[in-house]
Amino acid sequence: MDDGKEREPRMKLNRREIMTGAAVLAAAPRVARAQGAGEILIGAVFPMTGSTAQTGLDAKNAIETAAAIINDKTDLDLPLARGAGLPGFGGAKVRVIYADHQGDPQKGRAEAERLITQEKAVALIGCYHSAVSATVSQTAERYALPFMCADSSSPSLSRRGLKFFFRASAHDEMFSSAMFDLMDSLRAKGQKIETLALFHEDTIFGADSANVQTKLAGERGYRIACDVKYRANSPSLTTEVQQIKSAAADVLMPSSYTTDGILLVRTMNELGYKPRAIVAQAAGFSEQALYDAVGDLLHGAITRGSFSLDLAQKRPMVARVNDLFKARAGKDLNDNSAREFMALIVLADGVNRAGTTDGEAIRAALTATDIPGDRTIMPWKGVRFDATGQNNGCDPVLLQYDGRKFVTVFPLLAAISEPVWPMNS
Amino acid sequence: MTAQAVAQSLVSGLLMGLIYALVAAGLALVFGLMNVVNFAHGEFLMTAMYAAFGLFVAVSLDPLLAAPFVAAAMFIFGSVVYLGVVRFAMSASANAGMVQIFATFGLGVVMRGLAQLLFTPNYRSIPHSWLGGRTMQIAGVYLPAPQLAGACVSLATFGALWLIINRTDFGRALEATREDSGAVALVGIDRKRIFALGWGLGAALVGLAGAVLAIFFYIYPDVGASFSLIAYVTVALGGFGSVFGAFAAGILVGLVEAGSALVLPASLKYVGVYALYLLVVLVRPRGLFGSL
Repeated sequence: MDDGKEREPRMKLNRREIMTGAAVLAAAPRVARAQGAGEILIGAVFPMTGSTAQTGLDAKNAIETAAAIINDKTDLDLPLARGAGLPGFGGAKVRVIYADHQGDPQKGRAEAERLITQEKAVALIGCYHSAVSATVSQTAERYALPFMCADSSSPSLSRRGLKFFFRASAHDEMFSSAMFDLMDSLRAKGQKIETLALFHEDTIFGADSANVQTKLAGERGYRIACDVKYRANSPSLTTEVQQIKSAAADVLMPSSYTTDGILLVRTMNELGYKPRAIVAQAAGFSEQALYDAVGDLLHGAITRGSFSLDLAQKRPMVARVNDLFKARAGKDLNDNSAREFMALIVLADGVNRAGTTDGEAIRAALTATDIPGDRTIMPWKGVRFDATGQNNGCDPVLLQYDGRKFVTVFPLLAAISEPVWPMNS
Repeated sequence: MTAQAVAQSLVSGLLMGLIYALVAAGLALVFGLMNVVNFAHGEFLMTAMYAAFGLFVAVSLDPLLAAPFVAAAMFIFGSVVYLGVVRFAMSASANAGMVQIFATFGLGVVMRGLAQLLFTPNYRSIPHSWLGGRTMQIAGVYLPAPQLAGACVSLATFGALWLIINRTDFGRALEATREDSGAVALVGIDRKRIFALGWGLGAALVGLAGAVLAIFFYIYPDVGASFSLIAYVTVALGGFGSVFGAFAAGILVGLVEAGSALVLPASLKYVGVYALYLLVVLVRPRGLFGSL
């Protein structure tokens, strides 16, 4: 009994401590983050190891290119390019800290948490895999920090009612609409396009992409001849390709990362299947590695993209930014790296206008973003975010591989040549 | 579904199954010899694939011709791994089993990291080889030349293994060491030497598999993961330590995988393989051909 009485006051103290602790915790995300002298820290979560590590490495080079343009004086016509650093913070430099999610949504969540609580990042950027962007953006939301989705294209990401989610580039519904617009226009010219074969990997990227394509096919009068959902990174895709081959559709529409894309094309060749046309949901089909491996089998393959190097003919700045990127990465900008580049520019522009590192203030500034298309390296109308954080002014392009490089073939405004249809013709 | 599609799936399953068996052979051999599971097996495969790729880039050697050289290099590599890592892990004074697991697992992590550092995480592949992209057709069923070659190499390798194990002194020493590694020392067999040669042979087998895979598969630091899980299932299914059990189990895994993909959605094709594995582990824990 005595012991119990002695303990009681301590219990009360503990409770009070807990209450205080909880209050501090609740308030913590609102507290403006302390930063190192003259530096604004942004956390980038990308796959730096694992099966898509090359994409992560390219993303780092693209983001570092953007950071260098922001931090140094240049004469490029991009937001923040002409001055040194962020004028809203007295010229403070942007520093990006990279974390590795290995393609795993749970690792992504943990790394996002670490970047926010340990490294004191003021905003996050990422993540290539849509499945990882889903968890990382939820973490950012919990800490009331903006998440700039650079290169994940699942439509569902911007439809979860998150306040701190922003995506400057298109999602797969916009991309897929462009693909169907192209097929509609070819149909109008007398091409026979009736059946589609969907081939997609089994994470959120492939699943969402196939859902959108199924919906659009129904609306626009195409028949899905087969819908093959396959396991990513399988050692063999023979049976899957056999199914596509049996379906003999007019258009093959793959949604695959690089590894599966290479195996898909090789297996098609081994099983004697030559599709009439390929219209790909980018990802692996934007990557040089795929064309290095199986490019000779892909003459005339079409992929959607947000970016095209031949845009340099209309916007000379594109070629100069590409040179800067190439000096770091040893390769040209592509669909993914161009979006990653723009993501940091757009995010830094918001942070700069906020003038403070408070997450809510940065969110408000990003909401008010208004960047005209000719101040980006993309074929976009501009960057303005709607209530879901999605930019709707980012028209995608369709690119055709001519055996050596990509040529923009759609939409007419950006196209520099007519699409060759069917492929290999 | 046409009969042709079924035949195509089963033939492809058989060819891939023979390749799975070849990938798993080294793992089964080493486990049978000394009860050590090599958790860096996938990374051994990755190293062999890079070796084949390197020979192609450096001296334009076709991966099929490179296979013996890759196997020889991997033999040395495997022996060095035994002498440099596993030997010490096995002599750990406490909890040697766990130490072996963590030593080989750690070795795998180091090898993956080194590969990423040295070769970058970019996806490599051999764009043109004698067999790459070639295929033949029999009654509407396609037989891709690379897989066909892989299956032939696998059959030849298992034939040679049978001869080595049953007809040579080294094979008898291997079998004796495997049965009672303590007793062999009494008859003058150097146990450590047999272990080192066993690791070398196991690595050489995966070297052959790597060279064959390099013809048609992409190469990057994590490529081992695609095959190593199947290799572990194959070895467990065949019976831990039974090299010829791994042969039968590899074929079975290939066929079940292809069969599952015919009746289930393709993304669930490994459900059949893992269900079979679970069944065997529950009903016959020593595996189909295991003698434990």
